[in-house]
Amino acid sequence: MYTCYTYGMLEAVALHKRFRDVPALEGFDLAVAAGEIVGLVGHNGAGKTTFARSVAGLVRPDRGTIRVAGRDVAREPREARARLGLAPQELALYPTATARENLLLFAGLHGLRRKESKRRVDEVAEALVLVDVLDRKIRELSGGQQRRVQAASAIVHRPPVLLLDEPTVGADPTTRDALLSTLRSLAGDGAAIVYTTHYLSELDALEATLAVADHGRIIARGERAKLLSGVPGHAILEFDRSAASLDPPVMTSAEIFTRGAEMTIRAIDPAAIVAALLAAYPEAASQLRAIQVHAPTLDDLYRGLVAHHGR
Amino acid sequence: MAGDSFTRIRLAAQVRHQGILLLREPGPLIGYTVMPLLLIAVLRPMFQAIDHLHAASTLTGTGQAAAGMAVMFSIFAMKAVGASMLEERTWNTWDRLRATPAHSGQLLLGKALPLLVTLIAQQFFLFGFAITMFGLRPASNWWALVGTTVVWSTCVLLLGTAASSLIRSPAQLSACGDVAAVLTTILAGALVPTTLLPGWLQHLGPVSPGHWAMRGYEAALIDGNAKAIVGPLAALAVFGALGIGLGALFSHRSGG
Repeated sequence: MYTCYTYGMLEAVALHKRFRDVPALEGFDLAVAAGEIVGLVGHNGAGKTTFARSVAGLVRPDRGTIRVAGRDVAREPREARARLGLAPQELALYPTATARENLLLFAGLHGLRRKESKRRVDEVAEALVLVDVLDRKIRELSGGQQRRVQAASAIVHRPPVLLLDEPTVGADPTTRDALLSTLRSLAGDGAAIVYTTHYLSELDALEATLAVADHGRIIARGERAKLLSGVPGHAILEFDRSAASLDPPVMTSAEIFTRGAEMTIRAIDPAAIVAALLAAYPEAASQLRAIQVHAPTLDDLYRGLVAHHGR
Repeated sequence: MAGDSFTRIRLAAQVRHQGILLLREPGPLIGYTVMPLLLIAVLRPMFQAIDHLHAASTLTGTGQAAAGMAVMFSIFAMKAVGASMLEERTWNTWDRLRATPAHSGQLLLGKALPLLVTLIAQQFFLFGFAITMFGLRPASNWWALVGTTVVWSTCVLLLGTAASSLIRSPAQLSACGDVAAVLTTILAGALVPTTLLPGWLQHLGPVSPGHWAMRGYEAALIDGNAKAIVGPLAALAVFGALGIGLGALFSHRSGG
């Protein structure tokens, strides 16, 4: 169990950072409670990586403060980093060393004695299904295995705050489940976790809250279900002939687009719109070949929020 | 106390890991250790012939060849130091190390120690070969030879680390390393005795750290005056300090 800072195990307040004339962070605020997993989402350039590098002390913000488990990153950088586990987006492992050697290095750099380091490495390898590859060189591993070793290097010292940037890229479903299960367990022990991903299903599995970043700040923060409730999903209808020739109606509760034999309907409840449309236009129903209904995705949420914020 | 303990643990972890990395890819360092042995055997008769012209002893030829190759190939081995630093950047591991609670100084020291041991070992191996095969004996004392080797290796390591802060690709490293090695070797009089160099090159010699390493080795091996190494070692210490300063400056400017 970790020392519990109920409000803000990780606290970033009003972060600003410019690289020459390019703003990277513009008032970035994020607080993560102990035991909370936050899904940090946003397109490229939203500020996610600069935020992660700022928390790790690799980038010094122009303004704002960051506290990791109560330690100010600017004033107590080493104490803050001692309480942080980082798995950056780009692979950062020694390819000529084995997975075990990489993990032992990072455990040692976090101050774990050799015997304790070995024990922790075995534990984390078991949790992340890495036992069979521990003594293989990183360059001999698959992309998914390398990502898992990277995630293992972030958690081997059991930090109270974790930053994981797309750790499941290239992972197969079994190993992805192993990682997600490990993260849930760490959160259950009180760790605050920031998890970057493009997959909503992973955030569902982690029962994560959401933080949406855009142009260097957080534009939405809260429960997934609440944030997604007002976001339109879409349905794709495929007909035997040109969808435009069916003369689709103008509706206030949905946007309808046609392209060739396809008709796309964007609406809060696309299934209900499809049902109403087909009931009202029997000719269209008779020409229908296939229907796909999609629940709102992270992309839908992001597009909706960005449009709402006038970007 | 706990802080000291953590420092030791971190340093040990880093030293152990860097040692593993060096052992995994030993090719270049083995090459830079074996090649000078061959060249000593080839160049020794030439230096002996030169020395005969100057009525010197036959041992001096071996000493010249060994000292020259020690200087030349430790500069080549500096490329291994540069490669090691470059790899940290291309593998993204340097930032990853900086994201741990280890101090930058600890990280650099942990990285440098195995490289320093390797550089020193390379030269001991070289002089060991000259001693065993050709009966080389220091004219002053053994400690003068050991001292010169350690100070020169440290100087090479510090300058190599500083230079590697500016290097951005293996191709740059290879080109810059080769040019630096040849230039330093020539200016040092490691390949051809300085007395045979054109006058203007002789005047340029002191700007090269290799020149002072060569003078240190000559003092230890040939001159028979241990005190004569003090000046060259002091000059090498200045070059080493310059390496620290430049390394810190380049590293700061590149955000490292």
